[in-house]
Amino acid sequence: MPLENVVKACDLTKTFGNIRAVDGVSFSVRKGEIYGLLGPNGAGKTTTIRMIIGIITPDRGEAYIMGYNVHKEPVKARSFIGVVPEISNPYVDLTLWENIMLTGGIYGVPKKVRAKRAKDLLKMLGIYEVRNRKVKTLSKGMQRRLLLAMALISDPNILFLDEPTSGLDVISARIIRSLLLKLKKQGKTIILTTHNIDEAGMLCDRVAIMNKGKIIAMGTPEELKIEFGEYTRILLCFNREIDIKLIEKHFNSYETVVQGRRLVIVCRSKDLREVLDQILHIVKTYDLNIEELQVSGLNFEDVFIRLIRERPK
Amino acid sequence: MKFRNVKQYLNRIWILCFKDMKLYYFKGPTVVMGILMPLFIWLAFIVGRGFSFTRSLPMLIALSSFFTSSSITPIVMPWEARQKTLEMLLSRPVTIHIILLGTALASTLFGIFISSILVIVGLIINIIPLDLILLILGIVISSLCYSFMGLLFSAVPSNVPADAVMISSAVRLPLIFISGIFIPISDLPHYIKPFAFISPLTYFSDLINYTYGYNSLLSPLMDIVVLSFLTIMFMALAIITNRRVLMRRL
Repeated sequence: MPLENVVKACDLTKTFGNIRAVDGVSFSVRKGEIYGLLGPNGAGKTTTIRMIIGIITPDRGEAYIMGYNVHKEPVKARSFIGVVPEISNPYVDLTLWENIMLTGGIYGVPKKVRAKRAKDLLKMLGIYEVRNRKVKTLSKGMQRRLLLAMALISDPNILFLDEPTSGLDVISARIIRSLLLKLKKQGKTIILTTHNIDEAGMLCDRVAIMNKGKIIAMGTPEELKIEFGEYTRILLCFNREIDIKLIEKHFNSYETVVQGRRLVIVCRSKDLREVLDQILHIVKTYDLNIEELQVSGLNFEDVFIRLIRERPK
Repeated sequence: MKFRNVKQYLNRIWILCFKDMKLYYFKGPTVVMGILMPLFIWLAFIVGRGFSFTRSLPMLIALSSFFTSSSITPIVMPWEARQKTLEMLLSRPVTIHIILLGTALASTLFGIFISSILVIVGLIINIIPLDLILLILGIVISSLCYSFMGLLFSAVPSNVPADAVMISSAVRLPLIFISGIFIPISDLPHYIKPFAFISPLTYFSDLINYTYGYNSLLSPLMDIVVLSFLTIMFMALAIITNRRVLMRRL
């Protein structure tokens, strides 16, 4: 295994009952990059992560962390990683401080180093003041920040984050995102799962898009956008609300989204002229005014949606 | 390098044990099944039956060691699986063995602590064992044994702690009546006697009778050997069964 590949998943497969949750997933993560596993709910992202960190055993395939086979040498492999799971799971009857010190202890971090690092992390994440409060009294955002602090207490080389900002308020989500970028600058490798496409586009160097247990596309967000370069996105804002039936009638061969006065049309670039003619036609016919018009390539979210639709397996 | 690994291994067991001590010593099921239950059973047997406190204290020590040491271990795994903290622990550099040994150690220390209080109370009021060292050794080994026995009950494939408590109570309660604590084994019906020798409580009850100068059935060495054997057997079974149900828990 090349040294740059700090995490490697080879042909991971897992079936629960009759459902194949993950089907032959293989990918490698390079040192120092943020790698995103994207996909709709039930795509198999969390199961993939759980197999890579050795919580569940795959039916087939292997996972390696820093060259160690996770299922053969779990303690050694896990000593390099920090994990923030999807479901908040610190000990709710212990205080923040006790939780973070417990985690540091499990990793074998010396007590003095642990205490200093815990103090720095809690301060950085804005939860130092509440360190003596029991976790059950904290908000979800604070609990999530605590989980991140617990994952970082051992100063791990690799960080696994499962939906790190899911259900968080804007401020907590922003704190976590900026910390992840800071950690990347420090040379940490980050693997995150998310269904927040904007977040993935903002943070990830490379992504793998999963659907129905399989990876359907892989590459940098830019590469994936180029793959769909033949498509154009038109955003319009009219002076009044528009009737969906009207849009369906005139743009039935294109992908459209109507939201109040706003209309988004995705079409092939070669059809752009025809679409613009149609827009002018409805503006004249129905006496509409265009307040805003944007013509651009597909954004990452459009690419994601097209991938899920066009490549179901 | 090997010594460092052993030290880290033991350190992780201790850290998890300390966590269990903080979290589970004062949980409802622990207090009810580990402290109140033996006390009430003891009171039910001695009140109005002419037992002196001197005679009944060894009975209470045997009951306490049995119930207290096996009160935490059945609930920890289902509880942690339910709270999803088990998954969190397993994403850290620990194995299921380390988690189980940490829990067993916390439970053992709880049993030793409560039993020691009773022994000290006895010493204060002049109920002095003939062989204090043997008594301490017996308390330590029996607490370990009962703790691993409790851990075996935690392998019930359910994440509801009450299910494990129910099964452990269904096994532990009948053992009180056939282990020679209140009814001497020689007075038991002949068809129950063989079961008395399967019960781990029999050997500690016998040992404690010996250390306080009452009639004992077996030699103290035999009691210690059998308790040690049962400890190893329960430990192995508890680890194997808990490993088997682990995937269903997560």
